[in-house]
Amino acid sequence: MSRSDVLVDAEWVEAHRDDPGVVLVEVDEDTSAYDKGHIRGAVKIDWKKDLQDPVRRDFVDRDGFAALLSERGISNDDTVILYGGNNNWFAAYAYWYFKLYGHQNVKLLDGGRKKWELDSRELVTEVPSRPATSYTAQEQDSSIRAFRDEVVNAIGNKNLIDVRSPDEFAGRLLAPAHLPQEQAQRGGHVPTARNVPWSKAAEDDGTFKSDDALQTLYTEAGVDFGIDTIAYCRIGERSAHTWFVMHELLGQPNVKNYDGSWTEYGSLVGVPIKLGDES
Amino acid sequence: MTEATQASQAAGAAAGCGAPAGGAAIKDAGNQAIVQGKVTKDGAPVPVGYARLLNSGGDFVAEVPLGEDGGFRFFAAPGDWTLRVLAPGGISTDRGVSAATGEIRELDVVV
Repeated sequence: MSRSDVLVDAEWVEAHRDDPGVVLVEVDEDTSAYDKGHIRGAVKIDWKKDLQDPVRRDFVDRDGFAALLSERGISNDDTVILYGGNNNWFAAYAYWYFKLYGHQNVKLLDGGRKKWELDSRELVTEVPSRPATSYTAQEQDSSIRAFRDEVVNAIGNKNLIDVRSPDEFAGRLLAPAHLPQEQAQRGGHVPTARNVPWSKAAEDDGTFKSDDALQTLYTEAGVDFGIDTIAYCRIGERSAHTWFVMHELLGQPNVKNYDGSWTEYGSLVGVPIKLGDES
Repeated sequence: MTEATQASQAAGAAAGCGAPAGGAAIKDAGNQAIVQGKVTKDGAPVPVGYARLLNSGGDFVAEVPLGEDGGFRFFAAPGDWTLRVLAPGGISTDRGVSAATGEIRELDVVV
């Protein structure tokens, strides 16, 4: 797999956004960014309202995902280009989520909304109208999603990559520093997890670092490329960014995203937790 | 505002992981260590841009898009931080700031 199979740049978007079979999708947690201005032609997906079950902590089911994509006018054979704020966290999460439900032709806009804005490219408020489709979703691909028991069983057996900031890893902060710090769960990390913050995989403008730089980053952090990997963060979106790097850019075969992440693990009764900077 | 109201508002903001433009809203610091301010250029707010918080080792910790008034806010841990502002035109400006629990540190950045 090469970068061009999974990433596009702004020039590609400007040249191909009107092509039949290409759909731009902005994915954010707070869609007010989309409402204020988005790339022309892009539809929006709300990370929470559209992709999460409103009652249980889980994703919308297969039928719900099919209904969402049908309503947004996305077909099974469309090339979906995802981008968003927060250095593409939620776009990477949506990428992983599209793959989970079997949509193969999906790519990320490298640098996401941030690079687009910093390059002063055009944003519009006009919302495109796309005719509804009859989208068919597949069963979830369990090879890319990890659940809590797998994480506990991975201690000492698989690579566990904690992609949160060093202060969250150590237990000094319970959330990213742009959010208030009240949380119910305990701080710390899964024992044996290596702390490779997602941000080390990206440049300041949000684009991904080179394959060589990424390989060096994980190798130097003690990640063994010969064994399976589970990535986690706080709620699973930053770790989707790292899942994208490991699985899609570096081509590692067995990489899972643990979307329960620290908000689940740090609230489980009886599981081991490590505090401090050491793995 | 009561303590309970403040906690509830903070919990609401913390439910997700995204960065609200300008940072999550607050009334007072409470038990948080807050770094906030505004970014201006030629006397006018910079509404398109990003504020990044780096730790004392230079590592990225958090980022918010600037608000329409050029504002940003972080809930840091006590200690020394670097604030980096990115704005169109290749602008990247660093400023040092120290945060303390229960205090709001104001930092106005001219780019």
